[in-house]
Amino acid sequence: MIDALFEGLLLVLQWKALAFMLLGVVLGFWVGLLPGLGGATTLALMLPFIYTMQPVEAFAFLLGMHAVVATTGDITSVLFGVPGEGTTAATILDGHAMAKKGEAGRALGAALMSSLIGALVGAGALALAIPVVRPLVLTFGSPELFMLAIVGLAFIASLSAQGGRGMLRGFLAGGLGLMFATVGQDPQAGVERYTLGTLYLWGGLDLVPVLVGIFAIPEIIDLAVRGTSIAGDLPPGRLNKGALEGVKDTFRHFWLTIRCSLIGTFVGIMPGLGGAVAQWMAYGHATQSARNAEERKGFGAGDVRGVLGPGAANNSKEGGSLIPTVAFGVPGSTAMAILLGGFFLLGLVPGPDMLTKHLAVTFSMVWTIVLANVVTVAACFLLLNRLATLTTVRGHLLIPVILVLVFIGSYTANNHYGDVLVTLLFGGIGYLMVLGGWPRAPFVLGLVLGRIAENYLYISVARYEAAWLSRPVVLVLIALAIVVICYPLVQARRSGADKDAHA
Amino acid sequence: MHSKASLALGLGIMIVSAWAVIDALAWPWKAALFPLVIGIPVFCLATAEVLWVLFGSTARSEIMDFQLSTHLPANVTLRRTGLAIGWIVGFFVAVVLLSFPIAVPLFVFLYLKIQGREGWRFAVLFTIAVWAFFHGLFERLLHLPFPAGWIQAWIA
Repeated sequence: MIDALFEGLLLVLQWKALAFMLLGVVLGFWVGLLPGLGGATTLALMLPFIYTMQPVEAFAFLLGMHAVVATTGDITSVLFGVPGEGTTAATILDGHAMAKKGEAGRALGAALMSSLIGALVGAGALALAIPVVRPLVLTFGSPELFMLAIVGLAFIASLSAQGGRGMLRGFLAGGLGLMFATVGQDPQAGVERYTLGTLYLWGGLDLVPVLVGIFAIPEIIDLAVRGTSIAGDLPPGRLNKGALEGVKDTFRHFWLTIRCSLIGTFVGIMPGLGGAVAQWMAYGHATQSARNAEERKGFGAGDVRGVLGPGAANNSKEGGSLIPTVAFGVPGSTAMAILLGGFFLLGLVPGPDMLTKHLAVTFSMVWTIVLANVVTVAACFLLLNRLATLTTVRGHLLIPVILVLVFIGSYTANNHYGDVLVTLLFGGIGYLMVLGGWPRAPFVLGLVLGRIAENYLYISVARYEAAWLSRPVVLVLIALAIVVICYPLVQARRSGADKDAHA
Repeated sequence: MHSKASLALGLGIMIVSAWAVIDALAWPWKAALFPLVIGIPVFCLATAEVLWVLFGSTARSEIMDFQLSTHLPANVTLRRTGLAIGWIVGFFVAVVLLSFPIAVPLFVFLYLKIQGREGWRFAVLFTIAVWAFFHGLFERLLHLPFPAGWIQAWIA
């Protein structure tokens, strides 16, 4: 095993594989920065180019590109409040709030360093977990995966707002997201649901136009209303001095970063949950690290822990999602399903062979994730100061450029004007939510989880009827959901009692 | 303002969820299971929210999310919000009528001239730079298909 580990490193360090990896990194860097241009789409576009490559070169190219997309996606999210990738939307909540306070450099430093640590944890998990992951994946059937989705939603709905009223709005937003996820042709019976008689809605609502609308439009309107730059009237000297502070923040909250990385890895391992879920679960966990209700108020207003959690989980999930792809041929996400196509194009069959005959190739993937992330983070740190000063550019110069990117970003989802209309409609909903004090995170998680949860619920009911509710892991997850819902209420009550006692 | 937005959202969700549940009742159980499992509690929660807004406290709940700026006078905020929405909707209308390749430079130029009050030279140069980026990346490199706008289609 150790021999294969080093052989894998030597394979990636061969000049051709290294050159392809760097090419992939450069492509992934820009794909991540541009809103809407998804990592999975680019992976699919690049797939035909690997025909003539050796397996190690092909994976160095594809994984090198894919591994860095989430890292640079965080940059767009932090600087402009527009999700660079669907998987980097959670970084906006605190990262962009920090940018508006003149702490763009610190937020970027934290996002990049936590991304690097997340990638290293994910790659380490991939290397270590291959022999032991089989029983874990097999323990989770459809009922458990459905409950896992519910726990995730309960997590974010209960933690994204304060008190009973906030929790009601959190669950309402989550439920609304789940409802919008049912739009389109039903996967079981083929019934057209809520399509309003249009062909466009048959495939359901695409995540990218919805995400871009719900997050970017309120930010653009607010930037226009303020009439200043993103960082307001803060002195420019402060902006680019925080990168090192962001790096230090990562180590100050080192165990939080590690825990969020493990959450990302775990979500990545579970087939079908997808990368967009990992960031919100990690964000929910990060908010839980607040010691009291007062401290929790800082989340959404620029708490660095809200950047560290999603940043770490986004990158660690890649290593995690490679585990079932390589070991069982079960892709953990859309991108992994495309990568699986790459395996077949190269004549490799995922499964036991990848853990025995082609173990060095498997380890070369681990090294690619590590090296690609190290190279990207190093390059980003060199550019960080210049990137941070973008937040001082006058608003009326940024707005048309951001709006063009928002419109084209959503249009590229299906190359349909309907995508842009969806962005505007959800932009309106997002604006009302922000205006009314409703949390947007549960809505997005509901939308992401809706399709998955529906499939798992249907299979659970069809296969086990009501008995699925009595499976041991399901019971544990139900208990966990109850704890997650009750915990903030108990915490708020306790802090209220403490205040009374002090008074 | 926030309670009006909450009321609008709550009422909107009530109407949408009621329609969703009524629609789902006519489907086979396979297709209706999830919409009903979600739609009914969402309707109940939305009703609770509406009642809370109408008869309960109007205090704003603390959320972990972005907050709109509040330092400007209400009339200025309202006017600027209306203007921003106007520009966004206007850009969408321009895209539909003229297609992206024409709407993008037109929107950027008009925004800089009218909203940004920039000089002719800067506005033209900035527009050319944005158009070059758009044309080079999305048209030349990625070959994104941009269908003709309604006006071009009508003229043709």
